[in-house]
Formats: sequence, C-alpha cells, structure tokens
Amino acid sequence: MTTSQADALYVKNQPIVEAKRVSKWYSNVVAVSDVSFRIDRGITGLLGPNGAGKTTLLHMIAGLASTSDGELTLLGEGVRDNPRLYRRLGFMSEHEAVYGFYTGRQFVEFSAKMYGLDPLASAVDRAIDAVGLEQAQYRRVGGYSRGMKQRIRLAATLVHDPEVLLLDEPLNGTDPRQRIEFHDLMRKMAADGRTIVVSSHILEEVETLADRILLMVSGKLAAAGDFRAIRAKLDERPYNLRIVVNDPRAMASALVQMDEVDSVTVEPTGALVLLTRKVNVLRRAIPRLANERGIRLLRVEPMDESLESVFSYVVDNG
Amino acid sequence: MLALLDLSLRQLVSRSRLAIILLLAAVPVGVSVIFRLADTRLEFGEAGNAFYDGLLVSSILPIVTMAVATAALGNELDDRTLSNLVLKPIPRWQIVLPKYLASLLVVAPLVVASGVGATVLSNPDFQAALAIGVALFAGVATYAAVFNWLGLVSKSALAFSLVYVFLWEGVALSFLDGVRYLSIRAYSLGIMHGMDEESFEVFEGRVIEFPAAVGGAVIVTIFFLWLTVRRLKRMDVP
Repeated sequence: MTTSQADALYVKNQPIVEAKRVSKWYSNVVAVSDVSFRIDRGITGLLGPNGAGKTTLLHMIAGLASTSDGELTLLGEGVRDNPRLYRRLGFMSEHEAVYGFYTGRQFVEFSAKMYGLDPLASAVDRAIDAVGLEQAQYRRVGGYSRGMKQRIRLAATLVHDPEVLLLDEPLNGTDPRQRIEFHDLMRKMAADGRTIVVSSHILEEVETLADRILLMVSGKLAAAGDFRAIRAKLDERPYNLRIVVNDPRAMASALVQMDEVDSVTVEPTGALVLLTRKVNVLRRAIPRLANERGIRLLRVEPMDESLESVFSYVVDNG
Repeated sequence: MLALLDLSLRQLVSRSRLAIILLLAAVPVGVSVIFRLADTRLEFGEAGNAFYDGLLVSSILPIVTMAVATAALGNELDDRTLSNLVLKPIPRWQIVLPKYLASLLVVAPLVVASGVGATVLSNPDFQAALAIGVALFAGVATYAAVFNWLGLVSKSALAFSLVYVFLWEGVALSFLDGVRYLSIRAYSLGIMHGMDEESFEVFEGRVIEFPAAVGGAVIVTIFFLWLTVRRLKRMDVP
C-alpha cells in the first residue's frame, strides 16, 4: 500500500492526536502525569501556567521526547523516530532557535530543502508572504527583532504545508498587529482542514483563537473541551477586587446592598476589598454606582487575577 | 544532506573558533621556522619524538579537533536548534554524517597542512611528510567521530575530551601496555611508523602494528558514528 492510499484510508473520525494515560518523568520529577485526551481538526489551545507541562506534552506529541508511560499517536501512528510522519507535521518550539548568519529567506529555504520541496522558490515565497516578511527576507536573521524571529520561524514551520501544526508559545515577542495577523492566518489554515495546537500561558490569547482547550496544571489535565464552557466556569469563581475611592464608607455601604457582592472589608489604608462571584457584572456596575453617588473612583484592581489562581480554582472545583 | 553540510560548515567556522584553531595549527609551523632560522635540522630522533608525538599528535591534533567536533552537534543542543533538524523527514544518519563531514572538512586540512608543512620546513622528506599527513588525517577522522558523540551526550564535552586526551591517552598509555589498542594517539603513531619505519624508528616498540592501527581507527570511527546516530534516535531533544 502506498503512503497516499494509507492516508486515504485514514478514518475521518479518528483523532489527529490521541493520548492514552501518558506520563513523563525525569528521574523523580513528574512533568506530565497520566494524561488522556484526543485532538481533532481545528484549533486547540494548550493552556496552563508556566511549568504546567505544556512544552513537555507538545514535545511528546512531536516525538521530540519519549513517553515514560502510556501511548501517544499522531495521525494514527507512533511519532517517535518516524521521519516519514514529519512530512505531515510542523513544529515550532518556544525558543528563539534560529541560525543568525542566515538571511530570513535562507532560513526558510534551508527548511524547504530539508523537506525536499520542489519547486523550492514558490514554497518559500508562499511561506514568507504568509508571515508578512517579504521586505525583510534578505536581512540576516541575527538582526531581526524577537517578533520577526518568531515570524520567520513560523514561515520555516509552514513551508512544507503541514497537516498538523504544533506551536509552542508562538506569540511571544509579537506586537498586537502581528497577533491579529497570526490569528487570521491560523483561522484560515484551520478552515482549510488543518489541525493546529497552540500552547500559551495567557488565557485571553487562547480565548480569541481556540475553540477547544486542554488545560494543564502541575502536569495534569485539569480540563479539556469547549473553551466557552470552561470559561463560564472560570467566570463563576469568587474574585477579590480592591477598590480605592475618595469616600470608602459611602462606597462600602452602597456596595453591600448589591446582590453581586458577597462581602466588603475595609483595609487600614482605606481601600475596599470585595468578594464577588459575578465579576463581569460588577466591573460594569462599580463605575456607574460611584458616578450615581458622587464618589470619585481612583482605582479598581483584581487581587487574584493570576493564571495560577484561575487554574487552581478549576482544579479544586473540577 | 548538502544543505545540512553547508549549514554545519557555516556554524563551525565562526570567527572566534577559526582564530583559535588557526593559532594552534600555526604552532608546529612556528617551531619549524625557529629551527630553520637557527639553521638546525629537526631530526626524527628524540627531538623528533617530542615534536611529532608530544606536540603534533598528542596536543595539536586532539585539541584542534576537540574545539570543532564537540561543537558540531553540541552547539545545536546549546542553541536549542536541534529540533529544527530532528523533525525533518530524514533518517538520523543523514543528520550525523554531514555534521561529521563538516568537522572533518574544517579540521583535517588545517591539521594536515600544519603537520606536513612543519615537516617539510624542518626536514624535507617526502615519505615522512606523507606518513605524517595520513596519520594526522586518520587521527582527525577518529577523534572527530568521538568528539561529535561527546558533544551530543554531555554539556561538559570539552572537559570530558580533555580528560580522555590527557589522562587516558597521556597518563594511562604510559603505564598500561594494552591501552595502546584503545587509543587514538596510538593509532596515529602506529600509522605514522607503519608508513615510514625508518624515519620514525624512535617509536619502535611503543606503537601498535600498522594493520591494528588502521583497523582500530576505522572501527572506533564507525562505532562512534553509530553511537551518535543511536543517541539522536533515543534522546529527548530540548
């Protein structure tokens, strides 16, 4: 059976990536613990705080790292030491792994040559156009900004038009405009039937891009599935907000009358700390309330917005 | 493979590395020039022993090869660019071979030119120069395979290489007779002596037989290339 025939027989409902009870440990440190999931076509966000095991998991999916236990398949095959499968895979690591002496175009050309692409020039042109680096393609990569390095690495990852893309923190160092362009490019590729896995530790970054997420915390899969359902659960968690106003007493008495507020305490500095489970409602209500009462609102800040606290909530209440 | 060979050559000939190895390779030539200016022939006797074994084979050959060959794959690890290579649809030996050839192409011309040049300047003898050239090439080829592997398995490849060269080949070789058969220095000296027994008579009794030297160099080279391919297949790439 030829490769194309084998690919044609690839069952449509079969997952693109499938992990069954996968673990990875380094001597006595467990990086990924007993993780099972499937990834289908479209964009999947791999979300979690730093050190959660996202990179290790991506490395195992790409075949860069072995599994200590469990089974992991990509397109129905074991990916470890399976060079034939790498034609169908594009992987971009989180590191600024570039050859600084190459020009941007040479860097992408090198990747294209390693994939044995023919004709080479058109594939290279297409990849460089996709990341918008036509103007800078003849400059040395060593002189690129961090965002440009990320883009040229993405071009080298895309040059062979892979079916599956694994991107580890791809938006590091990019500016807001580049992020929008990156999102557009990823959505277009996903619409063309590709499978894209994007890891990030920034909730909002994944929220705007991925339909489904895998949420990793401390090496374990804390949640998996539709992003909106998980996000709704996150929004219902108790939040602490610190509010600084010119009249704390008046503001505190106004706040305790609101159904959305669970409690209000006054700090020695005069700042108010309130606990709420409806933070999104309250974010809109507080300025309105202050305005109605003639109170000057000086500052509103979340006290526990860190991703770790959000993830901990999901894990503790999962 | 040509694309990777080109990349590897460009990686290995960085300005600072090139300056260091050029300087080292110039030392034997410098010594020969000094002898020539002093109007003294560098005989193949005891003085030749210190020069060809002590300086060329035991010091310049391993140090220059070490400086380049440990970096061939080691730098890919340090720079975290190894994933750029191992996720390409090519067998692992097609990564290892260009890296090895690049090490060879950078080091061999330099070391061989240094040894042959120093010989011709001090003591013009075609047979001896040819023996030195072939022996040094075999040494570079063997050391390069070992140091390529070391660069991939350890972040302290340079330290381990120095331990191997100076403790194993320097000290152990002086006390343990059988160690000669597990020494790249002994292979080089054996080839040198085997190709020109007359000029390098001073090595008589201290070196291994010519066939054993050639066979040892070939076996060690192939074995370490195989180990490097195997390591690349099994390791977790950062």
